[in-house]
Amino acid sequence: MGNVERCDKTLPLNEMIFYVRRDRDLRERWKTDLAGLAREFGLSQSEYEALRDQDIRRLNEMGVHQYYLPQILRLFHGAAANTNSHPALEAYKRAFPDETARALELQTRVEGRQARELR
Amino acid sequence: MAEIVAAMAMTHSPGLTGWFARAPEEHQQLARRAMDEMRERLHAARPDVILAFSNDHLLNWPINNTPEYTVGIGEEHVGPADWYDEWLALDKYRIPGHPALARHLVNEGARRRLAFAYLRRMEFDDGFSVPMHYLNADGRIPLVPVGMNCTVPPIPTPERAYHVGAMLREIVRAYPGRERVAVLATGGLSHEPGGPRYFWVDEEFDRRFLDLLKGGDHQALLRECTLERMEEAGSGGTAELLAWIVVLAFTSGPADVLAYMPAIAWRTGTGMVVWDMEPRPVDVGPPAGRPGQPTDTEVAQ
Repeated sequence: MGNVERCDKTLPLNEMIFYVRRDRDLRERWKTDLAGLAREFGLSQSEYEALRDQDIRRLNEMGVHQYYLPQILRLFHGAAANTNSHPALEAYKRAFPDETARALELQTRVEGRQARELR
Repeated sequence: MAEIVAAMAMTHSPGLTGWFARAPEEHQQLARRAMDEMRERLHAARPDVILAFSNDHLLNWPINNTPEYTVGIGEEHVGPADWYDEWLALDKYRIPGHPALARHLVNEGARRRLAFAYLRRMEFDDGFSVPMHYLNADGRIPLVPVGMNCTVPPIPTPERAYHVGAMLREIVRAYPGRERVAVLATGGLSHEPGGPRYFWVDEEFDRRFLDLLKGGDHQALLRECTLERMEEAGSGGTAELLAWIVVLAFTSGPADVLAYMPAIAWRTGTGMVVWDMEPRPVDVGPPAGRPGQPTDTEVAQ
């Protein structure tokens, strides 16, 4: 099965994102007191560090549900104009360079013109 | 007894509202025309209520408890959820619910051994917000939203979705009112939201899936489009097509595929489909012409 099967449904971070996303005050605290928030939700030190470093590859490997990964990046970088050149998506390109290169080739083929970067 | 008067399906990717203009012009035109046609055909069917199915993107239930199906039973639905409005670039909207039908689904489902969770106040992400923006922007048609789990393992199988769809068709028909019901599936096609292949779409899989819908042979589709095949085409996202398979079970015969776009800019294989729900005319052979009246051919001569 695919990448989503990596998900560790019992990982505290997977619970934390659910509540942060739905609560304006928690979203504010995400920006000002991430360490405190992580403690309250019972994140391990390595979960917290991967989160703080926005290390998407590592978070994916440790079992954060893949759907939450871009949401984590949007909590850091904002949600508006979430195109393929938004900072959240640039983080993906760095985390998964091989997959991104293949997608770039595909975009060139689909759009019938040379693409230098994913749009 | 309620009547199913329309059945349709479309992609709900946030790019369709949030950054529509970033796709190639050709994709924009295809999508716009297809959604215009869907809206026209939806309204032409004069539905009293839209019964819509979509993946819940881990918004309504925490990951420790993700029901397979959740019915929104509220008097009124308000979306998009805070924080999603910015992502989707949508203003808040209000759409009336249809609590009587929604509660009938929950209770009649239970009597038939189907466990439907429900929410009186559902939160709305792209799943319902994007299609409602294009198909029901003024909120004139009441909505019964049914959220599905298409992304938290264990992801249900297409066979299961088809079975639930077939049961739901009977449950809707057994509703004591005379409502005209439009069924709508949202989500898909191939995409891997948040996975390593976030920018990828699987055009070959998507076109095959749509061809199978065009063919109208449900069993052939279920044999070929397994959960494993969906996961290969894009993990954790392509299985949103389970919503399409629920709606498939409400239909018979071929679907009209209105458009397909392998839209990397929207990070989703994007498609729109409508099934013809008009009662089929009974084939009685060539027109005989009534006695005493000339046939069209005779008039022409």
